[in-house]
This record gives sequence, structure tokens and C-alpha cells, in this order.
Amino acid sequence: MTGIKAGGDEPHLLTGATGFLGSHIMAGLLAEGKRVVIAGRSSSREPLKERIRRLLHWFGMECREGLLEFHEIDFLKPRMGLGRAEYDRLRGRGCPVIHCASDTRFTEKNRAMVMKSNVESLATILDFATASGARWFHFISSAYAAGIDRFACPEAPVHSLRFNNVYEESKALAEDRVAGKCREEKIPYTIIRPAIVYGDSSTGKSLRFNALYFPVRSLQHIRDIYLDEIKNRNGMKAAECGIFINDEGVLHLPIRIFIPHEGKINLVPVNYFTKTILAILEKPENETFYHITSNRPENMTRLASYAERFLEITGIEVVIGAAGADAMKNPPEELFDYFIKAYRPYISDKRDFFRENTDRATGGVLPPDFGYEIFQKCMAFAVAADWGKRLFD
Amino acid sequence: MDDVLKTAKSCRHYAMCKIDFLGTGLCRAGEEKHFVSFYPQGRMDLYAALAENRIPITEKCVEIAESCDLCGKCDYQCYFVTEMKPTAVMKALKEHIRLHLENGGDVLAAEKDSILDGIKEIVGDDWATNDRAIALTYSHDPCPAAEPRLPDYIAMPGSSAEISAVIQLLNRHGIPYAVRGNGSSVMGFVMSEGAVIDLGRMKAIVFDEKNWLVKVGPGVAAFDLQKAAVKRGFRVNAAEPSALVCANIMCSGIFSTFSASYGTAADNYIDAEFVGHDGSVFRLSDPSAPNLFGFRRADSALPGICSSASIRLHPVPADEGAAFVPFASLERALDFARECAGRRIGLAIGVLGGEYVSVFLSPTKKLAAEVKDAFRDKLKMEYLVLVIGDKYALHSIKAMGYPYFDNRMIRILNLGLPALTSAKWLDLMDELADDKPFSYLGLAHFPDLAEAALAPSSAQLVGDVDPELRPFFEKLYARPEMTDPVWLNMFRIVSARMGREKHVVAMIIYLPIDHTLIAGIGREFKRIADSHGLKNDFGFITPLDDGKRCVFEYDYYLDQNDPREKIKMRQAMMETGMMIEKFSAATGTVTWIRHVFCQGFSRKESFLYSGAGTGP
Repeated sequence: MTGIKAGGDEPHLLTGATGFLGSHIMAGLLAEGKRVVIAGRSSSREPLKERIRRLLHWFGMECREGLLEFHEIDFLKPRMGLGRAEYDRLRGRGCPVIHCASDTRFTEKNRAMVMKSNVESLATILDFATASGARWFHFISSAYAAGIDRFACPEAPVHSLRFNNVYEESKALAEDRVAGKCREEKIPYTIIRPAIVYGDSSTGKSLRFNALYFPVRSLQHIRDIYLDEIKNRNGMKAAECGIFINDEGVLHLPIRIFIPHEGKINLVPVNYFTKTILAILEKPENETFYHITSNRPENMTRLASYAERFLEITGIEVVIGAAGADAMKNPPEELFDYFIKAYRPYISDKRDFFRENTDRATGGVLPPDFGYEIFQKCMAFAVAADWGKRLFD
Repeated sequence: MDDVLKTAKSCRHYAMCKIDFLGTGLCRAGEEKHFVSFYPQGRMDLYAALAENRIPITEKCVEIAESCDLCGKCDYQCYFVTEMKPTAVMKALKEHIRLHLENGGDVLAAEKDSILDGIKEIVGDDWATNDRAIALTYSHDPCPAAEPRLPDYIAMPGSSAEISAVIQLLNRHGIPYAVRGNGSSVMGFVMSEGAVIDLGRMKAIVFDEKNWLVKVGPGVAAFDLQKAAVKRGFRVNAAEPSALVCANIMCSGIFSTFSASYGTAADNYIDAEFVGHDGSVFRLSDPSAPNLFGFRRADSALPGICSSASIRLHPVPADEGAAFVPFASLERALDFARECAGRRIGLAIGVLGGEYVSVFLSPTKKLAAEVKDAFRDKLKMEYLVLVIGDKYALHSIKAMGYPYFDNRMIRILNLGLPALTSAKWLDLMDELADDKPFSYLGLAHFPDLAEAALAPSSAQLVGDVDPELRPFFEKLYARPEMTDPVWLNMFRIVSARMGREKHVVAMIIYLPIDHTLIAGIGREFKRIADSHGLKNDFGFITPLDDGKRCVFEYDYYLDQNDPREKIKMRQAMMETGMMIEKFSAATGTVTWIRHVFCQGFSRKESFLYSGAGTGP
């Protein structure tokens, strides 16, 4: 359904602006000179405004702070934790909402928190959208909300009953609630589903270092353990594992990466994500799902070779099939396997994501191919930022 | 205050210089003369008093100073516990006396005293004195609630008969007395303005293997008894290494993590001999003897002087090992400890706080602080449950689904502690997307990887130890027992490190293993200490009697030389007492250890189940 105004000059109300995707949406809107209402939370160490200021500095956009308006909210409280007057004032403006706040953990031990953040708390923001007569409700979901019942994933509501983890499940449930409530309240809405988002493909900059980064970081740490042992001690432990420095001075680190099937890794850079979102916000189509995904996903073998090249190691081998009970003979291999366990579904993924709606919104602009140049840029930035620890130094 | 005087005044009286826990041998003069004054502990006190002109230089003063051969053993012992080096004090003491003598200063001779002569007639000339230099070292301890009291006489009897005769003599002259064994003294119980009877000479250890008992004299320290027992293939339930076995039973009864299976109080002994306050000698197993098995929930007096005790011996399984099971919350740690106790899995069980463990394992304060952060922030180990048991017990823990640090991992972790604090790969553990906490411990090759990553070695562990002492400590930590959790838990030589930074005052209660109750009391312990600005922390919890009850220690810390902190501590102790009494009255199941003092020979059931006073 088309023909509903995209939002005019009124600002967007954005949740999750302190997160990876939300902050890039904020920066994208600010870059276009648009005003943004930040609905977010202070952290235990930093007030909301300071958190955003730090991000603006990181983006080099301090001069755009004047386009921002801040509201401290808590989705688990009535009226989003706002005082009545503040709530009423905000409600009266009917801002289009971009709901990006999300708990991205996918371990089962965090189920309760993930469900609370991603599903239960929706009621508060949806009530606000209803009460304010929001012109649009844009929900940032995940391509993986599609679940694992089928490999062909259309830009349509989810019908899957099986998921890889609680995060996927929560996003599917949330999509359903958003769609239901918005239809009921006649709020135009979109569901936007990115795949795995990594750093900026042109600069390598990123604010998050999970997903794509985690296996590389794991390998780097394992490499450093044995390099140190070889260089500063007798290298006995390394030798026991078949680890050595070869004639070219490169560390041979024999690690097999077991994945159940060849599969793919669907990666999009954050700059492409932002551009696509802005295009969707420009001309949103009601009740429409958008896949911000790659048509040419990577595979693990190629990423492993990138990792070898970047980390200056050899010996990484991708093995299709499960490791036998006694297969893990090597301590680093066992540890690496343990480290990437949770990511395994995403590094050998068989799902195909259709993206006709996104192509229509972007005029067919596709994400760049994930070549070594981009990989190198992103990982070099990650290492320099000590995987996020020195991000704002 | 100069550094030497500061060291002298900071002696904690933990008496670790009176046991040979590092294999260096003991201070020669102390071993020979027995009076506390001849041990490094006494010389520290003596120097502080001389430096502050609190006593004159006496004949014994000169003898004490001259008896020190500056061998340096006390540096190893004291540094191990408190990071202090007493040799500087010993040197200063000798120098003080030398200068005094060179300058023709007076040396006060002991005063003639008919009562002293009477005591000497009983114990021998060498074993009684009224010299101020000796008396001073029996006059105080770091207990914030006790004021110093300088005794007129010190007597060191060598037998029950001598104890009896000394008591009768003192009684005849109306002289009050306190009794001690010359072990650690931190509770203010062993001071008197009259006489102090020091039983430190009575160190007999006699095994009766076929009856599974060992008879010990009142001067036997827990470490020495355990050493003798282990040599014969047995184990005893022992308290802190320098605590004296008989005194410990008399005071509160012996409890340790082994109390989970060996029990406490009357569970630990088979019989005991006493010298009553009238000088009569009786045995506890005598039907006509006073009933010490009972318990009265009130401040009590000692029934007499325990002159020997027959302690239970326990078998030691050959396949014994330790499991340190990590937990992110006290609640889960308590559940696990209770389950183990209820199922009778393991011989020793203790719920330990992260700080407790990091202090125990680290040779220096600096490393302990860093390790504590690494335990908490990197490994998410807020609490550890220690279980010591045979291979079946350890298999059971695995079967229950709890990953743990075993003996090998503990050794790796301990010797690799400095690397732990900078190990970047540990950051990943926290971010791991695995559902089961600490499941990395279940990886078959994790110890190999940890060995490669942490490079465990005694040289690394002692990296920030005082360079002068480092070679000794490097050799020390290379010894297998120094990183063997079973040995360390039996001999408890690292537990005194709790007082390394400041003197520790332990708040101890008996109660059910009930999350809410323990959390509630724990919060109150913390609130009270915080309100007085006192450092405080969770100590440990050990299940008792199949997990139906437990003993809970929460620790307060103070600078023993800071009068303001002493006042604060006294106030905090008073408030804590009131708080415990309140919980006790409300639940009918909480017993404060204060009420067990002097009743350590009683049956544990008496104070665990009816001690709170509201039961039927």
C-alpha cells in the first residue's frame, strides 16, 4: 500500500540510538539535516545525553547536536517512564517512530531478559504510537526472524515455528505484535530486517565487534597465546599441538572449523544498512517487509582464508560435517569450536533472503561484495580499537 | 612513626612464627625458651614498647635481644602471611639494647618475690618470671574490644600436676590468672593482671592408632598435629595452623571446611583431661565429671584448664582431590553446597567469596587485588564452592552437571595468577554465547590451553615479591603441596593471609542454609560495617550436619593501630551482636558463636538446634 506521507518535516522518534544500528540511523538522519527525538536510557555510568554526545563525536557530527531532542525512557514502565506532562507533549506531536532498541543476546540463559526487552516491552512503545497517532511505525527486526523452517525467506510475515535461538524467536514474535497492533490501530508500519551488519565498508569503522568479528578475535587471541609461548618460552605446548613458526616466519596454527554444511554468511556493511533505511524512510510502503541482505553472501572457506591472511597464520581448515566425539584433539581447535558455537548457524546458513521490496526502495542498489580489502579494513579498525575497548579513546 | 616501629606495632599475633609451616625451621630461641617473648612475635612487641619508652630495659630484655641470631626465618614466615619483614625490627631491637649498654644504661633486675619463688619451685627456675620484658609480650593482642593488661607473673608448667599446683598457689594468694597455650591470640581472652599460665611447653602428641585417636597436650598447634597425623596416614579436623588444639576446642570448638563431614565441637574429640579451678584433675569420660556436653545459651566460663585432649583421627582416601566449583551468585553456590552435604558428597565443603580465594592464592596484596578483579570481571566467579573428596565424590559433581577447577587447574591458575590478570583471551569467556556458565571448564583440553596461556610457574607467581625474598619464595611455590588445594585446606597455612592488609575480626554464626536468611544477615553485616567505614567481606560458609545447618563467617577489618578504627569496630561489633540476637529471636534457628565461647566441648546439636532458645 502506498500513498501515505513519509513524515514530512516532523522529527523521527528513535529508540535504540545508543546501539550499533540505532546510532547509525541517527547519524544518517542527522547527515540529511533531519531532527531526531532520542528516546533512550542512561547507562549505569553515563547519562543518555553524554552517551549520545560520545557517539556524535565518534561520527564527527558534534555540530548536529542541535537537531536532537532527548527523552529518558524506560519501556518497562507506564508512559515509558516519562512524567505525564512530558509524555503528553511528546504524544501530541505524532512523530513517526523508528523502534530499534533491542536485546541482541541469543543465549538461552538470557531468554527471560531477551523476551522482556524485545517482546513484552513493545506494548509500551506501541501504546505510545497509538496514543500519539504516529504517522509511521518502523520496526527494525532481523532477517533471521524468518526462523529455520524453510530456506526460502520472502519479505513477508514469519510462519516459522523453529528458530536457532531466543533472539530470532523474539524478533519473530515482536514482528507479529507490531503488525497486529499497527493494523488494529491503523498505524502505517514497516518491518525492516537486516542480515549480519558489520562495519563501514569504506572506512572499516564499527561500533560493535560481535558476529563477523568474534571468530577472528578468537583466532587472534589463540594465535597470541601460542606465539607468546613459542617466542618467550620453550614452545613445548605449541609443539604438542602441531603449532610452529614456518620458514616464512608465519605461525602454523592447525585449527579445523567444523560447520554442518557449506552454507553462507549473509553480511551487509553498516553504511549500506543506513543508506537503505534512509531510502525506506523516504518512501515507506505500509505493511511492507524489507530485507537488508546480500544477494551474494560469503562462505566460511573464503572468510577463513581472509582471517589467515589478516592474522598471518596458516592451518585454518573448514570441515563440512560434525566433529566426531574424539575429533577435537587439539586444545586451540577445541577452544575455538567452543567460542564459535553460538555463531555456527550464521556461518553455515542455508537461508536465502528475497529482497524485491528493498530493491524497489533503493532502486536496486546492492551491498558491496565482501572482499579481502573490506575485511582487512574492518578488522584493522577492530584491532586498533581493541575490539571495542578503546573505541572512544 | 618510622617503618621499623610501624612493622613492630603491626604484628597481628597470628603466631605463624611459632610453627614451622614453610619448612625453614623455627626461631631457635623461641623453640628453646618457649616464652612468647623469645619468638619474633614477642620481640616485635618488645621493640615497640622500648621504642615508645613504655618499659625499662630489664635483664630478660637483654637476653631476648641477644638470643636473636638474625637468621631471617621470620621474614619468610611473616612475609608469607602479612608481607612484613620482622628482621628489621630484630636488628633495631639488638641495636637499641647495644646502644643502651654501651652508654652505661641501667638494666633492671627481676624483683625478688615470694610468690614467684613459689611458682618456680613448682615449674622450675627457667619457667616462671616476673620480668617486665616477658610480661609485656603477654599483655595485649589486636582485639579491639580488649584493653592491655600487664601480668605480674608468667608461668610455664610442664604437666597437669604442675598446672594444678600453680593454680592452687595462685588461688591461695587470691591472684587472678589467664591461661593460654602460646598460639595465636586475637580475641582478648588471654590477658590478666595477675598471672598468665602459658602451656606452650606441653607439646606431647601421642598416637593410639588402633583406637583412631591422638592425645595432644595443650601446647600443640593445629599445624603440628596435622603434620604428625598426615605422616601416619591420618587426618584431623584442624583449625588455623597456629591455633592450639586444646584451646580451640575449649573456646568455640573446632570447625573447618572438613566440618561438613567430621562435624564440630564434641564431634572432634574422644576424651579430655582437665585441671579444675580448684586444682583437681578430672577426665571428661568420667561419669562424675562436670557435664560439658550440654549447652547454655549465655556467656559462660571455662570449666577448668584442658591439659590434654584425645582427638579423633580420620582416614584419608588415596584418590582424594579437590573441586572448586564457580558460581556467579551466592544463592546458586549455597544450593550446590547444601546438595553436596545432603547427599554426603565430599569430606570438606566450603562456600568461599572471590576475595577470600584471591587473597589466599596470592603471595602479595597487589596481586590479590588484581586477581580479585579478574575473578569477578573476567571469569564472573563471585563465589567458589570447594569440595574435597575421593574420586567418586568428584565424579558425582561432574555427573550433577557442575564444571569445576580440579587439582591440575588450580595449580595452573595459582602459578599463573599474574598472567591471568592480563589475559585478553579471558575477555571472550564472558562474551561467550554458551548457555551453561563456566562450561569451558568441561573442555577436555582446557587445562592444556590454560597452561600454554598462563605459563604457570613459581617464578612468575613471585614476580612482585620483595626481591630479597624472591628466590626463597620461588623455591617454595615450586613445592607441589603449596598449590595442592587438598594440602592447603588441611593445613590452612594461607588462611592467615586474610589479615594481610588489616587485622580481621570474624563474625561467626550458625544457621540453616536458607538463601533469604543468609542474604538478609549478610546484608546487615555489610550495612553495619559500611556505616562505620570498615572494610568488610563475605568469608565462608560450611554446611554442617548433612546441610541442615551451616557455619557462616563474615569478616570485618581494622587497622589495629588506629584508635578511631578500634572505636568504630567496637561500635560495629556491638550493633552486629544486637542484629544477630534479633535474627536469633525471630527465627529460633540462628546461634551466635559468642554463646558457644567456652562451650566448645558441647554437642553441636545442643547449639545448632536448640541454642536459639525459642524451640520447645
